[in-house]
Amino acid sequence: MSNKKTYWKGVAQLENKEFANEIASNEFSEHLPVNDFLKEKKTLEESSTSRRDFLKFMGFTTAAATLAACETPVVKSVPYLIKPDEIVPGVPNFYATTIYDGRDYASVLVKTREGRPIKIEANQSSTSARSQATILSFYDSNRAKEPMFGGKSISWSKLDKQIKQKLSEVKDKKIVLLTTSVISETTLDLIKKLSSKYSNFEHIMYDSVAYDALLDANLESFGLRVAPKYHFDKSDVIVSFGADFLGNWLSQDYSKDYVNGRNPKNGKMSRHFQIETNMSLSGANADKRIQIKPSEQSYLISNLYRALIGTDQIDERLKGVYQNLKKSKSSIVVTDSQRKDVQLIVNAINHELGNYKKTININNPCFLKKGNTNDLNSLIEDMNRGNVQVLITSGVNPIYNLERSKDFRSGLEKVDTFISCSLYNDETSSLADYLCPLHHNLESWGDANPSLNTYSLMQPTIASLFNTRQLETNLLSWADLNKDFHKYLKNYWINKGIDWNKALHDGYFKFNQSNKAANYRKSNLRNFEKVEVNRLELCLYEKIGLGDGTLANNPWLHELPDPITRTTWDNYVAISASTAREYGLMNKTVANGALNGSLVNLKADDVELKNLPVIIQPGQAKGTIGIALGYGRKRSGKVGDNVGFNAFPLISKKYVDIELAEGEHEFACIQLHHTMMGRDMVKETNLDKYIKNPSSGNYREKYYTYKGKLPSDQVSLYEEHDLETGHFWNLSIDLTSCTGCAECVIACQAENNIPVVGKEEMRKSRDMHWMRIDRYYSSEMTKENAKKQDISSVKMYAQMEEPSEDPEVVFQPVMCQHCNHAPCENVCPVAATTHSNEGLNQMTYNRCIGTRYCANNCPYKVRRFNWFLYSENDQFDYHMNDDLGKMVLNPDVVVRSRGVIEKCSMCIQKIQALKLEAKKKGETIKDEDAQTVCSSACSTNSIVFGDVTNKESEVYKLRNDDRAYDLLDHLNVRPSVFYQTKVRNKQNA
Amino acid sequence: MHKESRIRDPLIDGNKTFHDITVEVAYPVEGKANKYWWTLFGLSVILMLWGFGCIAYTIGTGIGVWGLNKTINWAWDITNFVWWIGIGHAGTLISAVLLLFRQKWRMAINRSAEAMTIFGVIQAGLFPLIHMGRPWLAYWVFPIPNQYGSLWVNFNSPLLWDVFAISTYLTVSTVFWYIGLIPDFAMIRDRVNEKINPLKKKLYSLLSFGWSGRAKHWQRFEEVSLVLAGLATPLVFSVHSIVSMDFATSVIPGWHTTIFPPYFVLGALFSGFAMVETLLIIVRKVVNMEAYITIKHIEYMNVIILFTGSMVGIAYITELFMAWYSGVEFEQYAFLNRATGPYWWAYASMMTCNVVIPQLYWIYKIRTNIIATFVLSIFVNIGMWFERFVIIVTSLHRDFLPSSWTMFSPTFVDIGIFLGTIGFFFVLFLMYARTFPVVAQAEMKTILKSSGSEFKKIDNEQ
Repeated sequence: MSNKKTYWKGVAQLENKEFANEIASNEFSEHLPVNDFLKEKKTLEESSTSRRDFLKFMGFTTAAATLAACETPVVKSVPYLIKPDEIVPGVPNFYATTIYDGRDYASVLVKTREGRPIKIEANQSSTSARSQATILSFYDSNRAKEPMFGGKSISWSKLDKQIKQKLSEVKDKKIVLLTTSVISETTLDLIKKLSSKYSNFEHIMYDSVAYDALLDANLESFGLRVAPKYHFDKSDVIVSFGADFLGNWLSQDYSKDYVNGRNPKNGKMSRHFQIETNMSLSGANADKRIQIKPSEQSYLISNLYRALIGTDQIDERLKGVYQNLKKSKSSIVVTDSQRKDVQLIVNAINHELGNYKKTININNPCFLKKGNTNDLNSLIEDMNRGNVQVLITSGVNPIYNLERSKDFRSGLEKVDTFISCSLYNDETSSLADYLCPLHHNLESWGDANPSLNTYSLMQPTIASLFNTRQLETNLLSWADLNKDFHKYLKNYWINKGIDWNKALHDGYFKFNQSNKAANYRKSNLRNFEKVEVNRLELCLYEKIGLGDGTLANNPWLHELPDPITRTTWDNYVAISASTAREYGLMNKTVANGALNGSLVNLKADDVELKNLPVIIQPGQAKGTIGIALGYGRKRSGKVGDNVGFNAFPLISKKYVDIELAEGEHEFACIQLHHTMMGRDMVKETNLDKYIKNPSSGNYREKYYTYKGKLPSDQVSLYEEHDLETGHFWNLSIDLTSCTGCAECVIACQAENNIPVVGKEEMRKSRDMHWMRIDRYYSSEMTKENAKKQDISSVKMYAQMEEPSEDPEVVFQPVMCQHCNHAPCENVCPVAATTHSNEGLNQMTYNRCIGTRYCANNCPYKVRRFNWFLYSENDQFDYHMNDDLGKMVLNPDVVVRSRGVIEKCSMCIQKIQALKLEAKKKGETIKDEDAQTVCSSACSTNSIVFGDVTNKESEVYKLRNDDRAYDLLDHLNVRPSVFYQTKVRNKQNA
Repeated sequence: MHKESRIRDPLIDGNKTFHDITVEVAYPVEGKANKYWWTLFGLSVILMLWGFGCIAYTIGTGIGVWGLNKTINWAWDITNFVWWIGIGHAGTLISAVLLLFRQKWRMAINRSAEAMTIFGVIQAGLFPLIHMGRPWLAYWVFPIPNQYGSLWVNFNSPLLWDVFAISTYLTVSTVFWYIGLIPDFAMIRDRVNEKINPLKKKLYSLLSFGWSGRAKHWQRFEEVSLVLAGLATPLVFSVHSIVSMDFATSVIPGWHTTIFPPYFVLGALFSGFAMVETLLIIVRKVVNMEAYITIKHIEYMNVIILFTGSMVGIAYITELFMAWYSGVEFEQYAFLNRATGPYWWAYASMMTCNVVIPQLYWIYKIRTNIIATFVLSIFVNIGMWFERFVIIVTSLHRDFLPSSWTMFSPTFVDIGIFLGTIGFFFVLFLMYARTFPVVAQAEMKTILKSSGSEFKKIDNEQ
């Protein structure tokens, strides 16, 4: 029997099938007379909308419009359709590449997450605060985004065609390519190819801060226009006449070598003399710092030479230098002098002392500085004479950073075609006919040859963000070599026998260059006699943060407190206290503690600058002023414009006149007290005492108890945390090797999504940095002096606040000390800050209600409160409020909301990743893998992180070192961070 | 020989009868407000609204609109908090401690003093709430069972103790105050004509809890008052001791002091009595209570101010001595800096207003002079505000590491909120003065001298 059972939906279907089918086929059960209604024009016109209908329509449309307007926020999270092999969401990829912006060079590893670069770490070379901060400049929404012609956008193909046309039109006049020092071999090769294609092609390089004197002197002495390799680690005595080699001198990072030569453990340290005008980072680290005026430098160098060869008496001030140089087996003498004849004397001194055989290797030169000011000057003449038809610039900003920028500008008017290749539509590019926006380093291919036989490769870490091209691609297409630069680069090196894949993986390779220097040739040396100058002298310098101003639109660098003045968002006239008094200048703190300074009008020959702020700088030579370059940009972007003033017009000025101007300047200085007030935060000793007793200077107070006198850590009412099982993370900071370079501060800012708060907030002492580098000057008043002279405490403390005019300087990095008896943990009413069983003090942001009790009770004042909403807030227009700038944020670290406290977590995200990795592998954590970003960024290895339960670890050894001490030991808060006493080497100095 | 024991001066002047008291106490509630009241009220409302605006601005924008910074994370907020809490203290002392000691003179002032306590604690309570970075999560400070996992409050934190201390204090004070009010409300209820003002009748009937004046009611009333007085007495000492522990249990030099609990309690009574005087000198004038709140009352209070002021002075000197004696350089510097550092003027104001000026009360003429008392009480109020400012700000602004040293200056929001609480306080007090019997008339009637002095008078006349 076949199954003919049918199911009916209702009685209607059973009884009246047709009707049921009819209903089923109709969407609307009742007939809607729409067609009838609309068909007849007449009825339509006759019909009228009743009040009720009108209200219905109104109601419907209002409701519909309202609903349509209520858009659910769209969170763009697009999954991969085809997941790239190498990308696992949540797992970072590292690419070895190179950072070089025409000034600062670094071979780096770039950490990328889900395809976007978020952090720069050192690879073969060390990094600096600036190279660390480059990652933010990459995501700068003010970068030039598309090719332009005459202010209007143009396609690359049209642009290429027009430029080739312009280039081939050149007959008698010149084509000039103006760049910064080019250290890429392939780029130089391409420039050569381009120059052979077009007639009268010239390539000129210049450095914003010139090193001509040094390079030219070496050309004369050794036949090579290079800077040699200085081995500061092998030198017993280091004498620097103004060269800030721990700061910006030669854009090289010598601090690693310098510190390697100053390890008290070896029982031997180099002795460092710094003879300078401004208080520089090198001067702050020196064992003996001698203040001189710039006008005295040539004489003193000349006098030292004459004394060394025995033809003159040594100047009283250089007695120590002379004796030490005479005695020492190896030494280095360097200077920042811009005079070739002075540099030649320095070469002669080094030759006389035999340093070229031991500590200075001219056969291993550095190529970072190649600029030639003479070429540049003749270019400006040529331009003004109308001899230049096409000018191509790349990566330079002469309108901003030339002393003769006016001449350059007038010359530009006589140039037919001006093509600017630049990252920004800056002061120079805005005058260009063609703007060819450049790739950032992180989007480019390339190579670099920073020193002899050393090469590093640059590879893109992300597809280009904007419609930009790298210079090399421009050169290729203008030279009609329409090849991909990637292929060109690859073939170039493969043809030279380089293992491309390995080199690209490592990021660097060795390749032998033939570049032999000649033997030292003696030159005729000039004798400089002592001169008396009674005018105010000027000494320019570059700041550790901003350098020459190329990265002026980078808010991290503006907000980085200068290691010496600890002032942010400004440049200023630095002057000594006694000279300031002569001119009636002052610094004072106002009611909320912020620093105000006088203003001056400055005049140097034809240059006049009005209303420059004055800061009183201990250690500034009397009768001199110091001014930082790199500020006062006009077209750098929203952050950098009009911060400070431009000092490049003063670059060759020696003497200035200043006069007090009306008004006061408001500084954003975050350290308002400059001395230690007789306290021993930084414990210090000297090498000879250290050799006798390794714990010298590291005095620990003992307290009376019923068990006798005990140090603080053996007296406690608290229950101890169990720190034996599992990990116990500790951080050691060596104050001897910390140079105060502030790289760790930027690294920490990048890793931990620390907001930028701007000048106004910095001025209110509301900096957000999780780590800071405290800088203290010595004072003439000490407790011993007060006792000797029978001075009352009130007077003593008042005088202690005044730093000495010739101070010794110490740096002390301070972050959360992760106390194991933490005062902050006790007082939080909601237990938002708690202790981990790995010795860390942890902050739970989403539990925090913001009473700030913890911040008050923190003896180190390292807790930071979110006074406002710093992200997604247009009041804080830096980078966290735009979609591009936000890309730099580390997805592993929470962006804090307003109203919560935040602080150093010892990079808990890194620790956690490390533990997971080790667990997966089934291994224990290797000591060298355990790193915080500050410890890995520190190029002098003064910050060491690790697990002290691992008896083999470096940090365990440091914990038990005689130099180790806890900051504010008497409080017995038992920090997990500890310091190593500072050892200087100043006897007989 | 005829020995006649001295008859004490009556506590109520002017030969009042029971009915006089009723009429005079009920007068402000029944009559219309005069123009002084309206002017004062209008001013207070403006101040209050301005303060509320500043609070809204703070909550909407962030604590950054105050003058605080990374080093000084508390300033005017907690200064005001402690100041208001301190002001509240005298009320409880008068109503509870003096009740236990059978000090009858307290009866004229205890109602208003306790009203002041409650309104003061309300102002004080505002500050811990709004000083939070995220005040919408303030309920997290209560140990409420929750679904967030194992989250619980931190019983080690003095701020949590504060939460309990203040909420207990507010509750007990309010209950005590209210119990005392019941017979008086009943008195007003009985005087309201239902036909003319039915709503008022209804309201006061509700407020008086069906009080009928039966002997049983009076007996229970006395018992409850005594029990509550017993409960409130430890609170007089505990609340401010606990507030002081916010500072005393910390590690900051200038805060970390064991002397703080008694020092704070005495300071609180000191400021509390000063505020009671400030208020009552106005009230007795405005609502014609001179017969009830007499010079004698004011003199008694001035003696207490003199005593507590001197004790506070001893505490200040003890602090200085201990700093020197401890040999701890951080401690020594903290106190040296207080007296001679950039905030020396705050320290000097505190010393002058709290230690020197109250010594004038040794002089009989001054301590029995209304105008002098009013002026001096204002000085004490100012001085005690500075005391808290000195403790909080000068300790924080220069603590251990000189690199973090900085200063504090208030913004218009800081000032606005403080003025706003003063406005809010007076709004509450003025509304109270128009609707509540400002003198505990039922109790007053128990001390009306209706026999001895009358006979004495007759004797003298003969």
